[in-house]
Formats: sequence, structure tokens, C-alpha cells
Amino acid sequence: MPKFLKQLQYQLFLIPILLFYTLFTIYPLIKSFIFSLTDFNGYNKNYNFVGMSNYLKIFKDDAIVSGISYTLLYAISSTVLITLVAIPLALILDQNFFTKNIHRAIFFFPSIPSGLLLAYIWGFILAPISSGVLNTVLREVFNLGPQPWLSDPNLAKLMTIIVAAWAGAGWHAVLYLAFLQGISKDYYEAASIDGAGRWGQIRHITLPLLAPAMTVSIMLLLTGGLKVFEIPFALTRGGPGFETHTITQVIVLRGISEVQYGLASAMSIVFFLIVLVITFFQVSWMQKREERVL
Amino acid sequence: MKKSYGIVLAVILCLSVMLTACGGNNGNATNAGNTNTSGDVGGSGNSGKKVKLSILSWNNEKEMAPLLEGFQAKYPNISFDFQHAPPVKDYISKLQTMLLSHSATDIFIIAAENRNEIIDGGYAIDLTNEPFMDVMLEGNKPMLSKNGKTYAFTQTGWVGGLWYNKDLFAKAGITTFPETWDEFIAACLTLKEAGIIPYYDNVGDVTMIHDGLFANTTLAKDADIDAKIFEGKATFEQSWTETFKLWKSGLVDNKILTADMIGLTADQIVNEFAVGNVAMITGGPWNINTFKEANPDLKYEMAPIPGPNPGGNYYAGAPGVGLAINSKTKYKEEALTFLSYLASPEGLKKFEEGSGAFITAKGYESTVSPEIEKAYKEGLLQGKFYLPMVSWPRHQEALRNQFMISSQDLIVGKGTPEGIAQALDKKLAEMDNK
Repeated sequence: MPKFLKQLQYQLFLIPILLFYTLFTIYPLIKSFIFSLTDFNGYNKNYNFVGMSNYLKIFKDDAIVSGISYTLLYAISSTVLITLVAIPLALILDQNFFTKNIHRAIFFFPSIPSGLLLAYIWGFILAPISSGVLNTVLREVFNLGPQPWLSDPNLAKLMTIIVAAWAGAGWHAVLYLAFLQGISKDYYEAASIDGAGRWGQIRHITLPLLAPAMTVSIMLLLTGGLKVFEIPFALTRGGPGFETHTITQVIVLRGISEVQYGLASAMSIVFFLIVLVITFFQVSWMQKREERVL
Repeated sequence: MKKSYGIVLAVILCLSVMLTACGGNNGNATNAGNTNTSGDVGGSGNSGKKVKLSILSWNNEKEMAPLLEGFQAKYPNISFDFQHAPPVKDYISKLQTMLLSHSATDIFIIAAENRNEIIDGGYAIDLTNEPFMDVMLEGNKPMLSKNGKTYAFTQTGWVGGLWYNKDLFAKAGITTFPETWDEFIAACLTLKEAGIIPYYDNVGDVTMIHDGLFANTTLAKDADIDAKIFEGKATFEQSWTETFKLWKSGLVDNKILTADMIGLTADQIVNEFAVGNVAMITGGPWNINTFKEANPDLKYEMAPIPGPNPGGNYYAGAPGVGLAINSKTKYKEEALTFLSYLASPEGLKKFEEGSGAFITAKGYESTVSPEIEKAYKEGLLQGKFYLPMVSWPRHQEALRNQFMISSQDLIVGKGTPEGIAQALDKKLAEMDNK
């Protein structure tokens, strides 16, 4: 059989996937781009072509400017915080102790419920009223008055990031754990014969060999952080003011609530490009790092 | 290898057939819709033909059950595909998605927040001359109308105001509910001195306090003020600044309304009032069941929102949302039969029974809980109520969001009362030039 025919059969198997990918990803993206050049309001299909005017409006919009800065802060801070918690947690869970499976399950548990549900539960914990658990503890133990965890601009930003780290650390610890278990024990035995201590082994063997896991985990955290909606929305509704508005929330606000579908589409295209550029540079940089250490 | 090619080709063929079938169904659905738009309906409610009417409601299934069951007992050939989405944003976005994808239900709700888009998009049929529209209050029609035509039927209205806890007022030595704004602020400070939290507000929304204050200060002098703002003959800055100043100096500067309230949810506020932890909240008839369930011994009543001008106090309130008929329904006549039943004394009673809503249809007397009777009689029936989102003719959601965000900024110490009003003018101009 000619070589091209042999390869064609593999290509044919990709056609169904390509069709679905085109239908559910490429087509909506193209359609969004078309809408972004119109004054479509989300209801009336008699819309007009308005050129780039929606794109020009974006950076004059207080909500989107605030949304971009908070979303970047959220994505970067939650990525750093989760990584700093997940790697040590994975190292501990990798130890061979009696209750290791129970502990793995406990730390993985916050990843199971939806972010929205978790945030609602945290909303009760952080509430500034008599049923707010955290404020009650502060009052009973330290005789402190209620703290505005979700209404002070700085505290609200901090709390959304902490709740995100609490929810995501376990899942990423399991990801690191999977990679840790793939590291050959021979390296550690050789290092120990050479007199390396535990910290030396972590620094010179574990962390470098975890580089591929870090590339994957950080890419997932950054893209997830940039696309975040549920946790800040459920905790603060984006407030106070625009302080914890995320880009996705602004897109929904302008598109659905304010029936400016064309503007929201332009925002989503710009947002898509921002995520694409950030992810591209992050993965390229971290893959080069992998090549250096492996 | 020939066998492999055969399998691959078979898979592609199956897939093509599946996709063609999907396309074919869509085409049929569209055709059916078009045919029925032209008036080729499936038959009358009494024809005996089995019909399934679909409804998207923001009242849940439990609230709608008596009405639907009562209708089915009368018209056994008509059954329901009932769908629910909670108000307001979830409902509006679900309906919007359904309308755009040609999968909207036969009957759906129009609210102030989406009426312009529904009517302009031609999604609802004109009900103006339907016989059952005679029972709808004239005052309820403008919210669901455009250019003199009414596109939905509403049988309800609501009124809201300040719920106050009588025991906590008595504990602080306050014997009567304050009549004016200054007396209201003084009462809040007295409650605070007695160690009682005077007032919680849902600052995550446009608060009812603003509605009452604006009505007392501005609307009472000029009933057409909203129309003038939207015609460019007046501005938010000219008409709303006084309201925002009173609100800030009375509630924010005296720390009666504090920044931590931004973090409260509506449910938390209602529960705190129900268990007696706060003396006043704003709310409406929908809170009564929660109060009764959480604390049957609670002594409370609804009062109007006090304003600076004595005797001119208002409640918050508006006509209820209306049921509209999809212009592409296959069952127009059955849908009209359903609305006729809803407008009948039997249907109104069934709806009241399930939802607990105030019925405002002509010739029907609603049964009202004593705690809200004064608000019902002095507010709703006398027309002493106001809600900006209903009175504003366009861009309600955009302005509401701007209102809320600017108010929150003011509470946390950013911005000024003039700034909120100017931000609304800016938003209106931006939306008009969109």
C-alpha cells in the first residue's frame, strides 16, 4: 500500500474529532469575532456593522480595566500560593505513613465540590454577622470586633485568593504526587550514599525532576485563574465597587445584563488573546527550564 | 486492510447521517415555528386534542402547582412542560439563550429588565385586545407595553418597605415608628445606643431606602421626572443628588450603614431579622414565610420609608412580572386559554394560594397578612410606591449595576453623592450611544 494511503487512514479517524472541535470551538470563536464588529444586543438579529468601535470602548471601560488588574492579581497570586502549598503537601503525602490514603483523600476533598458551592460555604464563615464563624472566633478568643473580610477592598481581594488556594491546593498536590512517584528511588539511594541530606535531596533531585509537573500545574493554574468566575462572584459579587470584578464577570455583565453583546464579544476576543499570549510565554519558558534541568 | 477502509467509511457515513438528521430536525422546527407564526394554530383549548404547553417561570414548581393543577382539571387535554429559573439575572439569561436558539417555551415571563428587548425582537404576541386583559389594572400595563400595545398579562403587584421588630423598638424605648427622615435617623441612633443593631441593608442591590427617599423628595413634586431624565430634559445629577446626600449624611456618616454590610447576602439579612438580631431591614411580602418559619413569636410590621417631607412617605413596589406568549408558539390558542384561566377568579385564587403574591386584578380582593396590611392598603392600592427599574424606560440593568457599584464605592469612602448621580448620567449617555 502506498505510504500516503496508509497515513490517510489515521487522518480519517481524526475527522469526527475535527468536526466537533470546529463546531463547538472554532465556529463560536469566529462567530464571537463577527459579533464583536457589530452592535448586536443579544436579542434583535437586525444588527449593524460598527467596525472596531467595540474594541475602542474596551479600554475606556472602568469595569474592564479594574477587571483586568484584579484578574491578573488573582491568577498570579493564586498560582504562586497554590504551588507553594501543593509541592510541600505532595512531599508529605508521598511519605509512607499509616494514614496516608486518608490524608490524601482529605486534602483532595475541596477539589470535588464546585467553586460556587465552596464560596457560598466560605461566605457563611466570613460573614460579618452573628453567624459568621471567623468573626465569632475573633470576638470570643481575642475580643476583636467584626472584620470586613468581604467588604474592605484589600481584604476582599485577599480572601478570594486564599479561598481559591484552599480549594485548589489538594488537586495540584495530587498532580505533583503522581510525578513524584515516577522519580526513580535509585537517585535518592545514590545521593544518600554520597552523603546528601533530606533537604539536599529535595533541592537537587526532587525539585528539578518535578519540572514537567510544574509546567503543567502552573499552566492549568494560570489559565484557570485568568478564566475565574465562580469564587469571587459567589463571595463578593465583584464588590465592593469594581474591586473584585473578574474579566469574565465583566463580559457577562456587559453581554447579558446590559444587552451589549457586541461589546462583550469584543471583550472576550481580547481576553482570549491575553490568555493565549500569557500561556504561550509561560509554557515556552518553563519547557526551556525543563530542558536545562533534565 | 480493505476491511479497515470499510469501517472508516462506515463511521464517516454514520456521522454524516447523524449530522444531517440534526440539521433536518432544526429545519423542521423552524418551519413549524414559521407556519404557526402565520396563525396556523394547533387547536383550541377545548378541542380535546392532546397538547403539551411549555412554560418558563420564575415562580417555582411548588408556587405554580395549584394554578397548573386547577387548569388541567378543567382542560385535561392540555399538559405542561414546566421549567423554572430563579429571578432576575438567571431567568433573563436563560430566556435569552432559549429565544436565540429557537427553543423558547410557549409561555414565558416579561420583566421590566427585558421588556424592551423582547418586544423589539418580536418575540411576544400582542395581547392588547384579548378579552382577559380587561381584568389587568391600567396602572400595571405601561411596564409591559410599548407604543400603546401590551405584550404580557400580569395579575400581581408588590409592595415593600421597612420591616421593624416591635420588641426591639420597645426595648429601646421607641413607641411609634418614625414619620420623617430625621426621626428615622434619631431612632436608629437610639437603637444603637441601646446595644441593638438598628438596620441591615442589602447593599448588593439598589436599596429600597433610595426608592422611598427619591419618591418623597423628588417624585412627589414631579411625577414625570423619570420621563424627563430619559428625554434629556433633566439629569440624574439634578434629580437624584439630594437623595444621595440624605442617604449618606443620615446612614453612612452616622455609621448606621457600614461597609461590612456589602458582604451580607439577602438571605443572611432576612435570617438576622427573623431571629431578632437586627431592628430593621427592607423587604417585601416574600419574606413573611421565612419569618414565620424561623421565629413564629416575632412581632413585626411593615412601615413606609420615611422621607424629609412629612406625610409624603412612599413604599417600594411595582407591578408584577407578566406572562407573555411566544410569537413562534405552535399552541397559540391553548396558551391564550391558559392566560384566560389565570385571569379568571378561580385562576387568580389558585395563583394566590400557591405564590402568596398580592393579586391586583380588577374585581379581586387579595387576602393579606396583617403585618403587611397597611403597606398593601396605603401603599399598593393608593399607588404610593416607586421602583426606578420599572419607571426607567430603557437600560434598566446597566443603570442598576452602575447605581449599586457607585453606592458601594460611597460606603467604603470612595466618591461623593454628586459622583453617584453623575455616574448615572454618564452611563445613560454611554448606553444611548452604544
